Amino acid sequence: MTTRRTFISKSPGIAVLGGTIPSFLRTAAFAQPLPALGTSVDPGNVLLVIQMGGGNDGLNTIVPFSDDAYHRARPAIGVAETSVIKIDGRIGLNPVMTGLDDLFKEGHVAIVQGVGYPNPNRSHFEATQIWETASPENPVSSGWLGRYLDKTVSQRGGTALDPSRIFSAVALGDTVPTALIAQHVDVPAIGALNTFAYNAGKDGSSKTTAGTLYDGARPGQSPYLGLLENTARNALHGGDALRAKIADYKPAVTYPKDAFSQQLQLAAQIVGSNVGTRIVFVSIGSFDTHAGQRAQQDRLLGYLSQGLRAFYTDLAAHGMQDRVLAMTFSEFGRRVQQNASNGTDHGTAMPLFVVGGKVKGGVYGEHPSLTDLDANGDLKHAIDFRSAYATVLERWLGFDASGIIAGSYDTVAFV
Amino acid sequence: MTIDTSTDPQTGYRPPGDLDLATALARYAGPFTRRDAAHLLRRAGFGGTAAEIEAHRALGVEGAVDALLHPAGADVAFPDAPDATLLADPKTRNVTAQMWWLDRMLRTQHPLVEKMTLFWHGHFATSNRKVPANLMVEQIDLFRSQALGHFGQLLLAVSKDPAMLVWLDNRYNNKLHPNENYAREVMELFALGLGNYGEDDVKNAARAFTGWTIDKNQNFVFRPALHDDGPKTFLGRTGNFGGEDVIAIVVSQPVHQRFICRKLLEYFVYSDPEPALVDALASTYALSGYDIAKTVGTILRSNVFFSTRAYRAIPKSPIEFVIGTLRFMEVRKVPKDTIAWLQRMGQEPLAPPSVKGWDGGPTWINTGTLLARFNYVNRVVKTSPPASGATTAAPVDLATYAALTPDDVVSEAGGLDPQRVLATIARDAVQDDVTSDVRETMLDYLDSKNAPLPVPLGAENYQDKIRGALALVLNLPSNQLN
Repeated sequence: MTTRRTFISKSPGIAVLGGTIPSFLRTAAFAQPLPALGTSVDPGNVLLVIQMGGGNDGLNTIVPFSDDAYHRARPAIGVAETSVIKIDGRIGLNPVMTGLDDLFKEGHVAIVQGVGYPNPNRSHFEATQIWETASPENPVSSGWLGRYLDKTVSQRGGTALDPSRIFSAVALGDTVPTALIAQHVDVPAIGALNTFAYNAGKDGSSKTTAGTLYDGARPGQSPYLGLLENTARNALHGGDALRAKIADYKPAVTYPKDAFSQQLQLAAQIVGSNVGTRIVFVSIGSFDTHAGQRAQQDRLLGYLSQGLRAFYTDLAAHGMQDRVLAMTFSEFGRRVQQNASNGTDHGTAMPLFVVGGKVKGGVYGEHPSLTDLDANGDLKHAIDFRSAYATVLERWLGFDASGIIAGSYDTVAFV
Repeated sequence: MTIDTSTDPQTGYRPPGDLDLATALARYAGPFTRRDAAHLLRRAGFGGTAAEIEAHRALGVEGAVDALLHPAGADVAFPDAPDATLLADPKTRNVTAQMWWLDRMLRTQHPLVEKMTLFWHGHFATSNRKVPANLMVEQIDLFRSQALGHFGQLLLAVSKDPAMLVWLDNRYNNKLHPNENYAREVMELFALGLGNYGEDDVKNAARAFTGWTIDKNQNFVFRPALHDDGPKTFLGRTGNFGGEDVIAIVVSQPVHQRFICRKLLEYFVYSDPEPALVDALASTYALSGYDIAKTVGTILRSNVFFSTRAYRAIPKSPIEFVIGTLRFMEVRKVPKDTIAWLQRMGQEPLAPPSVKGWDGGPTWINTGTLLARFNYVNRVVKTSPPASGATTAAPVDLATYAALTPDDVVSEAGGLDPQRVLATIARDAVQDDVTSDVRETMLDYLDSKNAPLPVPLGAENYQDKIRGALALVLNLPSNQLN
């Protein structure tokens, strides 16, 4: 594999370019001037973050099929050149990702290669914390998106019961991920719409009564009572408000039946309900393919690809494709060399996908070298994940990333 | 040197009113009511049933605190360890360890010991996401055995604890490749706080801990060949320090006293305690020779602990809320789905979100976590065992159901009069911390006043209505607060 230099300019918004990028991609990759913060960015823009939990193997996602080192390292689990969906003469998509390939050909997908950070951590837990807090050096309790929420939503007006405050960010699933942990903003975790509710069972009058119990005078003087009252009212009334809004949104496509695609449908419904949502977080897993990798990862990549295809088509049918930008991440990629169980162990850098109507489609950054590895036999990163974060914060959400991410990171021109 | 509290989300949640510093830590000599006894049992344990509250009230404040600090007699019997097979199987190991500990919290008659064990778990926050469950169990046993002991000894034991050696990577710390992870956290999170050491102190402490690792049987071992025995300068002192020396120097820093006392006050009294109160407790702690039992005893007997400012002043943690609910409803065994509920509430035991532990305070409360609390109460209170003879998928374990029944409430109330039923529930569940508005609403509920047809509380509907009322009262704001 030829070694090529990656150019990242210190001025914001300069593209990451490789020497042999096809011309249509090169055009797309050139930087646009950074929008003046908070002005030319549409205030209705929505960021959908997709967590690929467990550590997705980047090398079988974006396959460097022309590199002999790839096939040598993966005699049993490598993707054959004949089956790859080719992007250019060197890399291609895993063959199950036909849906994403459609979107790529339409120019709606950016592939950001070789994303990582210095001194990579190979523990699932710690690496996930690093990605979600964007603070590898110091453990902090807030997530990178939580800090964004603290600096924006808590400044907004509106009453506590205003859905644009309740649903400014939502996590689809049972728990609020660290990325969305804020100091001052309450992020609801919504497992499913019908369970985001006070469950009184058959006793309907107890639900009605519960809805009023937090409206009364305060029993005592705890400084937490105000927080409890506001949050309880959101909890007791918010689910009903959201269900009422969502009733007006009809999906334009039939989503695949897997849980991830169903979450994307709910994400589209929430965005389409115009309840002021800026951030949606969904997850798909597990990509922790220590053994029997091909079957498991291919199945999951298929869900990711077909789910995103359905999601984009649904958004487009509602004229919303330009309002939503989806970005994937995973806590780490995997080792170059396959292991003895036809799987791969924890590694480092991996590619991100960015999908949306306003995304400047193409390939960003170099594919990491498979021969120039770190001491553990893992890929070296070229683009810091905080560059990707800074890009969506500044160029999609219109917010100065320096208040959210410690240090200064170049943006990537994918949007 | 100072304690950096800028990252403590509880800052700003100090109760209103002024601290009377001169009397704050003096022994409380006022009347010791049922409410006071219930307050003590919530803070020093996981709450009590009506009978337990009354028994502690009868002991008086001194007797009740002594009984918690120095419980007479052996605890109820617990298995020494979870089932070894289940603890080794990747599919069952984490939930097995979690259920083993939750069951102990539910049934123990030495609640303060378990409450302090939980404190140390949050303080030395270690997670099963990285550490094998059998080592997590051993670490909890360590916390329990030294829960009310001596901080210096505890910190040394934690530094040699296999779970901690795995968690913060000191097992990989050797003189050729020093790993600073443990050395940093022992100062930042365990004993001193940010801003009270420099990067050179971290590097030198890491050198002192080189060679502290685990053997193939997962036991602590010191490997001299991996240890850097050269001279080190650490927090202003120089010597050929080893790990023991570093621990001794760390705990000898005066700032350590305020660091740990502030945390104890946030756990037992209220959020964001006044610096003067922290200083006063730090003096007591130093005089005691870092004796945790004496320091906690000082807190639990104090005027500030029994002040109106401290009463219902802090949110219950999810574990406190769950165990308190189960204890009040007289459930004898933790239902298995409780782990999933605790995840939704934001506090999965043995799985803190990071080495910082749980932030607590306002971070416990969001719409998702609050709905999980509401619905867990609904689930525990409103679920009855299947009728005997019914066909069920799994064997029915009656111990996982509430033994407190609507009939018990009616019996205690002396009949089906809604006023008396409500009075009984409000007194026993929340010590009458109910506003008059809520009482009116609850009475309307019991008589279905707002339904299309009012249906007075009676023999036909009292089972459902009383369960419904219990759930509503346990979901009141006052019961979210400790």
